[in-house]
Amino acid sequence: MSEALHPILARRDRLLLYLAVWLGFGSLLAAVVAFRGDTSFLWGAVYAMPLAILLGVQSLSCWYLVQVLPVNETPLMRLTSTWIGAGLFLLAIWVAAALGWARLLRATVPQALDDQVAYGLAPLLLFSGAAGLLVAVLGHYMLVAFERFTQAERRSLEMRVLARESELRSLRGQLDPHFLFNSLNSVAALIGADAQAARRMCFLMAGFFRKSLALGGKQSIPMAEEVSLAETFLAIEEVRFGERLRKRFDIEEDVLTLAVPPLVLQPLVENAVHHGIAHLLEGGEVQVTARRRDSLLELIVENPCDPDRPPSRGAGVGLANVRSRIDALFGHRASVDVTAGTNTFRVAILLPAQPATSTTLTPAVLTE
Amino acid sequence: MRVLIVDDEALARAYLVEQLSGMEGIEIVGQAANGFEAVKLAEELTPDLMLLDVQMPKLSGFEVLELLGDRAPAVVFVTAHDEFALRAFEVHAVDYLMKPVEPARLTGALERAALRIKSNEPRPAARDIVMTARQPGRPLERVLIREGGRVHVLPVDKIDFVEAQDDYLSFVSGGKRQRKQQTMAEIEAQLDASRFVRIHRSFLLNIERLARIEPYAKDSWLAVLADGTTRLPVSRTGYSRLKELIG
Repeated sequence: MSEALHPILARRDRLLLYLAVWLGFGSLLAAVVAFRGDTSFLWGAVYAMPLAILLGVQSLSCWYLVQVLPVNETPLMRLTSTWIGAGLFLLAIWVAAALGWARLLRATVPQALDDQVAYGLAPLLLFSGAAGLLVAVLGHYMLVAFERFTQAERRSLEMRVLARESELRSLRGQLDPHFLFNSLNSVAALIGADAQAARRMCFLMAGFFRKSLALGGKQSIPMAEEVSLAETFLAIEEVRFGERLRKRFDIEEDVLTLAVPPLVLQPLVENAVHHGIAHLLEGGEVQVTARRRDSLLELIVENPCDPDRPPSRGAGVGLANVRSRIDALFGHRASVDVTAGTNTFRVAILLPAQPATSTTLTPAVLTE
Repeated sequence: MRVLIVDDEALARAYLVEQLSGMEGIEIVGQAANGFEAVKLAEELTPDLMLLDVQMPKLSGFEVLELLGDRAPAVVFVTAHDEFALRAFEVHAVDYLMKPVEPARLTGALERAALRIKSNEPRPAARDIVMTARQPGRPLERVLIREGGRVHVLPVDKIDFVEAQDDYLSFVSGGKRQRKQQTMAEIEAQLDASRFVRIHRSFLLNIERLARIEPYAKDSWLAVLADGTTRLPVSRTGYSRLKELIG
């Protein structure tokens, strides 16, 4: 996280607050100087206020060190040594300026400071300057933490909205009207030719739409349900495409109980049929693989495709949807790899393998 | 009325056959399962009417019409999609039926087709069909080229350049030339203008193939293509078009 402008300078209310804190510091210093030097508070303030402002301006530079030295990522040795070095450097400048200023004031307005104060200030200045700087550094770290926190909160909210939206979009896209119309046309055709098959087709369609609708509110479903949805989809399309559509499921037994976001596999299978098989004269085989790889679940959908397909075809909204949902849900813990070869199209997804017993998937942003 | 049924789904064809077989005066002369077959059968069998699906492998229904040109019979589109209706109207389709096809709508469409054929209305000019074969507002994605009985589908990104020769065009792709009866102005209007530049009266260049430009004579240049050997003439206006595009 690096921002061009200092967060204190970027906002007027913060700048005023910052100024007020340093004026408070100046008042304290003025009171001590007045008390020690037996002069009026006013002369103490004349001396102390410019120094307070100077230390305030110097402290602003902490921001840049805070940026490059995040507390939890920097080795303790480096953190302390850098800060002590920088602190001593800033402190030396300030004390030197303060002593010079004391002499200047003493020379021009003799009654402002007495000798004892003017020449015995060093220990007081060292102590108060160090205290001021320490508070400034801690304050900056708190500011960074606060900024990170609000940003993370905003991001997580955005992610959840995005995840929700694309989920809805995908569900709407799910009930693709053309899929419905084409299937109904198949039913109309079968009624004359093979009434039994027509009936079977009705049941398949009812099953598919019922399962799709049931997914509506769910954040995750067992892999077995997702596989069954994809199988039902392919069974319907097999009626339509006949021998042109062939399928091969290679699903390892132990992945069936894992949790996956709904509609992670079916849209890819749909893509494979509508953008792959449907454009081939002889059709081809849709191959679905699911297996466990250590702590990950790997899903692969592969299909042959037309080498002469125009570049705009070959991947549909379904794939984009799956990708954005997986991004939103898992961030960098998951990946979606698309290989668009001349003759084959392959999508490989890696997800964290979570058992289906945990009813909700936790978005990445909330666990980090 | 002699009818050709074109649909890539066997069931959809079977349904139309079933509906049509009982009707008087209708003879099903053939069935095609894809665009290539449709073009071939339409030419061999010269049907009066084609029941034509839009989305099929390799060639769409509109591309079938483009290839048939003036030899296309009357057409009734049959599709699950409603978004092609406007284009269907532009190519003077008799009717546009939506799947699942209602028998009453089908009968109506056949009656209209019979009237159209009897009245001998002029066929749409082949050129109109070419222009609607692509998605409205989108540049052409592939060029269809007939060579004897075969149809070649040439994706536009495989075209190196197009050369005008006499009354036809040569599409050059990887050293191979394919001829097509079309004018330069037509193909230039159809292709993506940000990728294909008219560098010369007779040459339309795929900008991605350009390696460099060499001066040749006063007010003329040579475009050297990425293969290193092909050199094409560049006219003065062609040069300024190229400069405008590459900057």
